[in-house]
Amino acid sequence: MSAIQVTSLSKAYGFYRIFEEISFTITSGACFALFGPNGAGKTTLLRILATLQAPSKGQFTIFGQDGVAQKDSVRATLLFIAHGSHLYEELSATENLQFALALRGKSPDPSHLKRALDQTGIGAYGNLKIRQFSAGMKKRLAIAKAIVAQPKLLLLDEPYNALDDGGIAITNQLIQDTMRSGGTVIMTTHDRNKAAQIATEGAILQAGRLQLLSPEELQAHALS
Amino acid sequence: MPFLNTIYWVVWKDLISEWRTRETISSMLFFALIVILVFSFSFAMDQDAARQLIAGIIWVAFTFTGIIGIGKSFTSELQNDCLESLQMSPVPKGAIYLGKVTANFLFMFAVEILLFPLFVIFFNLEVVEAVGMLFLVFFLATLGLSAVGTLFSALTVQIRAREVMLPVLLLPLAVPVMIAAVEATRGALNGDPYAFYSQWLHLLVIFDIIFTVVSFWLFEFILDS
Repeated sequence: MSAIQVTSLSKAYGFYRIFEEISFTITSGACFALFGPNGAGKTTLLRILATLQAPSKGQFTIFGQDGVAQKDSVRATLLFIAHGSHLYEELSATENLQFALALRGKSPDPSHLKRALDQTGIGAYGNLKIRQFSAGMKKRLAIAKAIVAQPKLLLLDEPYNALDDGGIAITNQLIQDTMRSGGTVIMTTHDRNKAAQIATEGAILQAGRLQLLSPEELQAHALS
Repeated sequence: MPFLNTIYWVVWKDLISEWRTRETISSMLFFALIVILVFSFSFAMDQDAARQLIAGIIWVAFTFTGIIGIGKSFTSELQNDCLESLQMSPVPKGAIYLGKVTANFLFMFAVEILLFPLFVIFFNLEVVEAVGMLFLVFFLATLGLSAVGTLFSALTVQIRAREVMLPVLLLPLAVPVMIAAVEATRGALNGDPYAFYSQWLHLLVIFDIIFTVVSFWLFEFILDS
């Protein structure tokens, strides 16, 4: 069953075309790695799927729902961990998780939040304000947010940036848990080796075109 | 009640962030204090003259102070791209809007409560009998300014010259609220019978309803655009 269906999607800023007529399908329970050089449009594609930007042309569905016309239903299914951490500097880690859950229309359960913080290795810093966090700790907190939110679609933009080995292991665990529960993961990354360890599907976005990779090509791309 | 829950959490987040930094309130108070001082030294007024002009001075101070607070309401969401998390939230955007309006209203009203005694002292006003009516006017006018201001704060937050654009866009729409507020404040300070200035209070109620309903409806489009 396909989780994401992208059909003839194009994005342009004025006359500058980011990508044109790209189409692909991602199956439920897959981890899709999106590779490509800087400026290829990986983040733009992710932002379109996250409903933060509208495509110039084409359409996409997420779990059967139109990504443009049924934005709110689509938004209820996904969580986007982006370059910006989406964290409030003056709130503590626990408070940030509480607010993130409230914005998803869910009631925060303190024990659930504590467990997520412990899982990501920042349980001891639950009451610390985010402005005192390092970049890596912020990334871990963003992962904790995904653990408590349990989205069906997880969008990760350069998930391994700023993370130490422990953080990378936690991220991979989150990806595996999401896939195991039937969820789908899409990540952009420049780290081919790490992506190849976990991705089940992949593609290269380059010069406005998307080249889908077979499992063998995905492994070969990781080693190249 | 997810709708009310969202309003609660947005207000909670804004109040707790402000309580920890006191950035907005302190800049609002500082600006308002300067306005009061400048006006009080500019006019060597007797009490009667003060009563004629003070309503306008009060609302110049309250409105411009309010714009400082309202402007910060959404610029604070730019840090760490938090605005995106509001945009991607599946909850009704109207709930986020009402949460922001409530927080802005509370900031502005709190500053007004702190500032009003200074007006009384600096301008030698006799307000004992009018206090109740004055606070009703402050309440209604502040609600109207928060309702329309929050919408324009969201509209201008992604514009580079937002500090300039917010007052430029907001003030023409806020003028009817300001005029009604000035007239009602003047009536209350002069000790006029309620019937003499009640139409201005009715006008404030009408503006509050119109601004809140229209802004509530438009907010989703503005946040998404």
